[in-house]
Amino acid sequence: MNMPFEMSVGSVGVKTTNNRGFTPEEVAELCVDRLMIVSNDAPPAIRDQALAHKERMKAVIAVYMKQAIQSDRTTVYNAISDAGHKKLAEYIRKM
Amino acid sequence: MCTSFKTELLKGVHNFTAASNVFKLAMYTNSASFNAATTAYTSSNEVSGTNYTAKGNAITTVTPTSSGTTAFVDMDNVVFTNVTLTGVRGALIFNEAASGDPTVCVLDFGGDKAASAGDFTVVMPTADSSNAIIRIA
Repeated sequence: MNMPFEMSVGSVGVKTTNNRGFTPEEVAELCVDRLMIVSNDAPPAIRDQALAHKERMKAVIAVYMKQAIQSDRTTVYNAISDAGHKKLAEYIRKM
Repeated sequence: MCTSFKTELLKGVHNFTAASNVFKLAMYTNSASFNAATTAYTSSNEVSGTNYTAKGNAITTVTPTSSGTTAFVDMDNVVFTNVTLTGVRGALIFNEAASGDPTVCVLDFGGDKAASAGDFTVVMPTADSSNAIIRIA
């Protein structure tokens, strides 16, 4: 009896930003890449439908991420405002 | 894949499910010389820069699973936030909770990467039997 055995390491990628963080759209793209895999070998009709669904997921995730960011800003605004830094709080609210 | 990792798997040194095992990703410059014989984390040639701490960041691992005859481990992307780093060529994944910080594998970014007052994300491959970060076929 002979069973082939192999251990492998996958390839990683790197994404970076300069003078800013990732935008909701950029993070949403990373998110859907983790959530959904579409094989290049899939039948064209299925592949196209899957890719369209993936794009839709990305858009929805980006919208909710923006809402989360705005909601967190409200929390941060109140925390900073309560600490007596009204001007800084207002600056953050307007970002 | 580090050869020592294969041995340590058989000795039960690494457990990708147990919360007590802390896997980390440390990043290095092109001056680092790693290969299958690399056995443990080293601070030699590790990158340095704003908001990067030695030994890098912890990795969130997903419970190992299998597809067909291949078992694999998935890991979440590792994000270094608000960093300024240059000349980042690769990384080591190691188990900080195990004695001697033994390595799991060496990652090559394929070229020098940099971020300036921004985020540096190591994007893990798709979690399947053909691409996952660690696979046993």
